[in-house]
Amino acid sequence: MGYAGTNKGGTSAILAAEELLRSNREAADEISVDAVLTAFPAIIDRIMGEGGLWHERTAAAAFIQAGGDTAEAVHLLRAHRSTLPRLTFSLPIEPDDMALCRRVVPAHRSPDGPQLLGETVDYSPRIIRRGVGDPLGGDDSDLVVDDDQIGPAKYPDRPVQRYTRFLAAQGLLVDRRDESDPEPYDLALNPITLPAPRSARLSAMSLAETGALVNLWYRGVIGPDGHTDESVTLGEVRYGRLGVRVTHPHTGNPVQVGEIRATECESMAHLDERGEDASRFDAGYGFAMGHNERKAIAMANMDLAAQRYASGPAGWQTEQVIMHTTDGLAANGFLEHLKLPHYVTFQSMIDRALAARAEDGKTSQRELAEDAAEQPAQDAAEQPAEDATKKEVLA
Amino acid sequence: MSTASVLSEIDRELELSGRPTVLDEQAKREVRRAMLSAVCIPGYQVPFGSREMPVARGWGSGGLQATLAMGGSEDVVKVIDQGDEEGVNAVNLRRLIRGTLGCGTTADTREASIVQSRHRIPEDRMVAGQTIVLQVPNSEPLRGVEKSVRECNRMHAEADYSRIWVGMYEDLVTGGVVNTGAGYPVMVNDRYLMAPSPIPRWDVPRLNDSDHLTILSHGRDKKIYAVPPHTPVAPVTFDDVPFEVEFTEGTTCGLCGSADTFMVQTSDGRFLCSDVEWCRRVRDHDVDPAEHRVIAPLQYLPDAGKRVRATAEDYLVDPGLLADESAGFRDAVTTTAPGAEWTLKVSGLGKTYPARRGSSAVVAAADVDFDVAPGEALGIIGESGSGKSTVMKCIIGDEYQAQGDVRLAGFDDARTNILQLTPTERRNLRISALSVVYQDPAMGLNLRISAGGNITERLTAAGWRNYRAIRRRAAGLLDRVEVPLNRMDDAVGQFSGGMRQRVQIAKALATDPDVLLLDEPTTGLDASVAAGVLDLLRELLAERNIAVVVVSHDFSVIDALTDRAIVMHRGRVIETGLTDQLFADPHEAYTQRLVAAARG
Repeated sequence: MGYAGTNKGGTSAILAAEELLRSNREAADEISVDAVLTAFPAIIDRIMGEGGLWHERTAAAAFIQAGGDTAEAVHLLRAHRSTLPRLTFSLPIEPDDMALCRRVVPAHRSPDGPQLLGETVDYSPRIIRRGVGDPLGGDDSDLVVDDDQIGPAKYPDRPVQRYTRFLAAQGLLVDRRDESDPEPYDLALNPITLPAPRSARLSAMSLAETGALVNLWYRGVIGPDGHTDESVTLGEVRYGRLGVRVTHPHTGNPVQVGEIRATECESMAHLDERGEDASRFDAGYGFAMGHNERKAIAMANMDLAAQRYASGPAGWQTEQVIMHTTDGLAANGFLEHLKLPHYVTFQSMIDRALAARAEDGKTSQRELAEDAAEQPAQDAAEQPAEDATKKEVLA
Repeated sequence: MSTASVLSEIDRELELSGRPTVLDEQAKREVRRAMLSAVCIPGYQVPFGSREMPVARGWGSGGLQATLAMGGSEDVVKVIDQGDEEGVNAVNLRRLIRGTLGCGTTADTREASIVQSRHRIPEDRMVAGQTIVLQVPNSEPLRGVEKSVRECNRMHAEADYSRIWVGMYEDLVTGGVVNTGAGYPVMVNDRYLMAPSPIPRWDVPRLNDSDHLTILSHGRDKKIYAVPPHTPVAPVTFDDVPFEVEFTEGTTCGLCGSADTFMVQTSDGRFLCSDVEWCRRVRDHDVDPAEHRVIAPLQYLPDAGKRVRATAEDYLVDPGLLADESAGFRDAVTTTAPGAEWTLKVSGLGKTYPARRGSSAVVAAADVDFDVAPGEALGIIGESGSGKSTVMKCIIGDEYQAQGDVRLAGFDDARTNILQLTPTERRNLRISALSVVYQDPAMGLNLRISAGGNITERLTAAGWRNYRAIRRRAAGLLDRVEVPLNRMDDAVGQFSGGMRQRVQIAKALATDPDVLLLDEPTTGLDASVAAGVLDLLRELLAERNIAVVVVSHDFSVIDALTDRAIVMHRGRVIETGLTDQLFADPHEAYTQRLVAAARG
């Protein structure tokens, strides 16, 4: 049954489509949720972040069902989220309590606390490996040896100062505290309204599609419009584990109910434009569930641009773009809806095109009138200007 | 033996060596060609087919291609990041370069044939035969002032860099210092503006007249550029505003005690040499400190006494001190064509807009003739749609493809019809030969920068490079057009319509043009404000030997400003004469209507 069948009771077509997908996958070995969680942690984290739901096994199941299509998996997770009752709200998480798995401070050579490379491919050569072993031929013995011993002795177990605090202590950071936005704006329960408080912008970006945020930042840097630039410096890129606590319904005491992993970023820009305080820096904040540094960095940079230009048209544009265009579910869904039947509306457009064709080549009443008016003027071009004008004035 | 067979031979040898291929020989050849072009045109960004590398874009993919393309197994390569060979990025790149080239590596600048670096030039002197490859994250120095890639390309092609100076002027008037940190723009070989990768200002003087070759490569934007040995490289600044390197009073390196190196801060507040190898050699007494003092940029240490705020600008408070400024205004200069009395001559000027879907062909102007002498003002009057503004746009160069002939006494002794010039040449005419004041100030001004900055744009385009002279000139002009000098440093966007128009007039007169075109200069203004601007224009025209064309629909404006006038209707001149006579005794019915409208 063809495409049109989906429009008239095409149940059998839909079922056949599902069967086709299922039978094609049947040929492969069964992939377990555990195998996915072990082998593809990055994509699971990305799906949970964009899906706005922390549950690794559910995300892995969605990933398998979606055949590896991230957007589809995020959709499954969001739809699943709608089925879950909201039992309680967690207590605010103190980001400084993060158990660090990775921490990079690009702005400083030796910040408070460690520079912790952790788990990353940042410095691995992107050479497709066939088998095990270093594709560059091992033996790094003659490379410079890092003689800095990192351990509990050097870095005791305490929260490390984030770089923006260092800047603030030196009086080099603007104060962006906003007392008018005490409770985070929950986009899962509330519609988007503009102007949006900063917490709504941060929520939107935390849920946003990673690629959308990255492109938003990059377009501002190198495209013809947008309000980001290259002169940002990252104060912190952190990845680690955070406890989630709620208030116990009976005892009223805080109790830890789980743990998430998250990525945090702070980016800084010198306020060097007209009307700004050139003796200070501004800082933006990014937070993404799971390990997703691209997203957290893009978010921090967009947050910075949105608040830096908040009082003018550039800020209003940035705010609208962040709030209304970065949700992957909205953008992907709307794009794909173009595959739905559109022949009624298209028939209506064809009607207008045909009408225009019928009119094409016919001389309009206006042109007829103009031709009549221009005729004497053209004749008059050969004559002295004076006469021509008299005719025109008379006409 | 053909090139192709040589290349495939090399490829085969490489395969036998067991080293991974990161860039095939054809690609290396292309990169080498781009580097050769870059050496031939110092500072010019040569596009090249930048390949994807095993490191991400922005992580040195451009520098890596340059090093791999020029390097071989006999090279000794030093790799640094922030001046440090121990940083992870440097370690990573060194591993890749050594693994693919089979070359030697070193930390010692003296032993290196190639230094690949991010954000630093080594403290040690580099010598003839050595090459430094700088990784570049942003190759376009104009990006900060212009977001359009096409426009940036045009600015480079025409060496039209005035907006860089305007940006610095704006920094200076708002903060007293230039805000650019690392990546300070430089002029290379007096021709191309270049982004020196973001090396600190400390390293910028090292690019000038160097013994070594500098290659700058931007993989993401696919551009390579170079500073060959002994090329002049100058940081962009005003002649009287010293370029400043980074400096914190009283700092010495916490490890080696040096005071003449670029230093970075640690968490405990100490400063250390950013060049780790140099620092170690200083401690080992393996350096020549006297030699280093010579190449260290100590002559550029900041001197608060030479900063712009150290010079009082008394004239801002007492504009009477600017009396001598008017001496610079054109008064005695008379530019006329050889053997003629005119400065501007227009013959048979016409403009036809061809028909397109949605609009019919329009003859906007045809057979327009007039000339204007120095000290004379000619009016062009007509209703909207009469073609008067089209005539003006064709003369100034806002419209191209006009028919006819327009000559300027001040350009090529009037031998050239300026309608035949290229857009570049037309734009150049607007720097000092031709000026225009538009009805809408936003057309002639950048509303986001200061009144003084707008005038600076014209002056720097005309070659002015002395900050204090520019300030004085701008103040003199603004004072003359009655803009209060305490508003000189305010963004023009904050000004009223009349005040904006006065700034536009000051800018138009900044370089003493031979010809000034006024396009409905008072039309957007309230009647009382318009009267003030009109009075000002009348005075300015009277005191200058300038040829003026005034375009207006309003006969009272034409009457107030001009000696002669032409009346346009439907693209054609229908009546000409002395303005007084036309106003007193118009022959044509159309002219009579215009006069009647002006008399109210």
